[in-house]
Amino acid sequence: MTTLSIVRNVLYRIVHDLRTVALIVILPLFFVLLYGNSFTGSYSGLKLVVVNQDNGLASVRTEEVGRITIAVDLAASFIDALDTETFEVIEETDADAAATLVGQSGVRAAIVFPISFSNAVVNEAIRSSGARRVEYEEGTVTLLPGEAVEGQRTQLTLDDSNPLLAGALLASLEETFGRMLETQQSSLTAEELLNIAPLYDGEIRTLDFTAPGIIGFAMTLITVMLTAMAIVRERTSGTLTRILIAPVSAWQVTVGYTLAFTLIALFQAAELFSASVMLFHIRFVGNLGVVVLVVALFAVGLQGIATLISTVAKNEAQAMQFVLFLLIPSIMLSGVFWPLEAMPNAIRPLSYAMPLTYANTALRKVMLAGAGLGDVRFEMIVLAGIAFGTLLLSILSMRRQAITA
Amino acid sequence: MPAEQVVQADGLRKSFGNRVALDGLSLRVPQGQLYGLAGPNGAGKTTLIRTLCGLLRPDAGEARLLGWRMPNSRVRSQLGYMPQEFAVYDDLTVLGNMAYFGSLYGLHRRQIRERARELLTLVDLSDRERQRVGTLSGGMRRRVSLAVALLHKPRLAFLDEPTAGVDPKLRRAFWDHFNQLSDQDVTLVVTTHLVEEALRCHVVGFLNAGKLLTQGTPEEILAETGAGNLDDAFIALQERGEGGS
Repeated sequence: MTTLSIVRNVLYRIVHDLRTVALIVILPLFFVLLYGNSFTGSYSGLKLVVVNQDNGLASVRTEEVGRITIAVDLAASFIDALDTETFEVIEETDADAAATLVGQSGVRAAIVFPISFSNAVVNEAIRSSGARRVEYEEGTVTLLPGEAVEGQRTQLTLDDSNPLLAGALLASLEETFGRMLETQQSSLTAEELLNIAPLYDGEIRTLDFTAPGIIGFAMTLITVMLTAMAIVRERTSGTLTRILIAPVSAWQVTVGYTLAFTLIALFQAAELFSASVMLFHIRFVGNLGVVVLVVALFAVGLQGIATLISTVAKNEAQAMQFVLFLLIPSIMLSGVFWPLEAMPNAIRPLSYAMPLTYANTALRKVMLAGAGLGDVRFEMIVLAGIAFGTLLLSILSMRRQAITA
Repeated sequence: MPAEQVVQADGLRKSFGNRVALDGLSLRVPQGQLYGLAGPNGAGKTTLIRTLCGLLRPDAGEARLLGWRMPNSRVRSQLGYMPQEFAVYDDLTVLGNMAYFGSLYGLHRRQIRERARELLTLVDLSDRERQRVGTLSGGMRRRVSLAVALLHKPRLAFLDEPTAGVDPKLRRAFWDHFNQLSDQDVTLVVTTHLVEEALRCHVVGFLNAGKLLTQGTPEEILAETGAGNLDDAFIALQERGEGGS
């Protein structure tokens, strides 16, 4: 019976706090909806640069009329056959320029079709499957197997900084090749047609790739929780009221708290990074200074968000739930595990609203690819904007915090 | 614009949802007065103090402290506030708390040390100054809180139940000190439940349901209600308030 009254008391008090009820009801649903919607398992909008140098012609010996030239345009039909959902095709003419585009502004791969691509595929098909009859001018001719043609391979420059994405991209290309080869009744395989040049020689493990995001997530978890709880505790105990009634301005208070907690966050980040590198040999090829800058901007933004959470949370339990509301989309939508390209378009705006998206992208660029300050300018500007914006809002709402009731 | 009336409130109105906490309340407290705020629980005493200090924005009416319309940042350095909560850091020592809050008022380390010595003598915690506040009893924590509120020598102080949980001997010492402060022209607004404390105020205001039912010297209140002592007078006033509204 006593146990029952305890149960009743706990439930009664929770049910009568509307904000907590809302959080309790919404949180699990939010989690499932995000999870189910964010990872479709298929990718869309992968940027693929295509250089088509294929002249589209195949020169084949025939039984009847000697050597003839037929137009097959295999590279062109391959490009047409690419799934437009999955790929965003960018046409280029210069093969070298195309290769250098990879890894920049979201370009995931570049594929170059050599001049004799059609010729090579057709001849290889005949060689492997034997003579065949085709319609030619006003009759039919028999195509005869000839010698092997050199240089049939396409050159694929692949950004393998994200092993998951690189794998998916490769699979999709191979599947398209497979369909094309089938129409030619060729025994060639897609692998044989592709000469792959991975940007990072396959050195980036899934662990390396996910580490920056997970470190960013850990920072979010630890520091936002700490800051939000600490400020809520100060408010409920009345010390914050005492501070705010002293001749101190709201910005001094906010900046003071932000600085203190940012220092802690930076210390924790240092711990996270060095332990990851020392214990698990996480790839870290970039400039440490740039990483520190990115992390600092990110940390300030997190403090701003934490302060805002502390303004709306009535007590520590609520602060905790609000933190969860931030954390769940963070880990699912920021491209830590699956890239933004694998998320439906409807969800992506949410991804772009997450500070972790930018921190993760910037850290990856620097740590995995050795990018410099200039390469992460955009991410830094966004992170600085988030830091500035949330700080400003925190200052504006700081006075509200004096009200304990 | 220095004012004779240190506290000047006109038509203050404040509601929380359906509940009216302040119902068109006006108040005047001249410089150096020791003003006692009495009234039953939930009468609006704390809301009044918070509104006067600028911590709550009134729905209507205005409050002026030291001549400045609240909320006003210029008043803050001269304002002392002791909230009902302990509002001190449990994980800091007594001196640590004083040092921190003192620094917010721009006091130097030496000034803080001197003031802390005086005030800790007053609240009888001199021998505990290096003890963590979390290890002190409730009454002792309240004493620390009072010391913090008076640290920067405010010209005007709002003390919300400064003697709750404090033993009688020390309570008397507190009130001696309040009288002393008022002799030095410090204006004090103190909430209380205790008749013996109300008797030591220059003026007592009796609050009920967000209204100032009456105010005057203790003698005037006795005369007005025709009661033999302040306890009876307060009960009579409270009943009058309940019957009236």
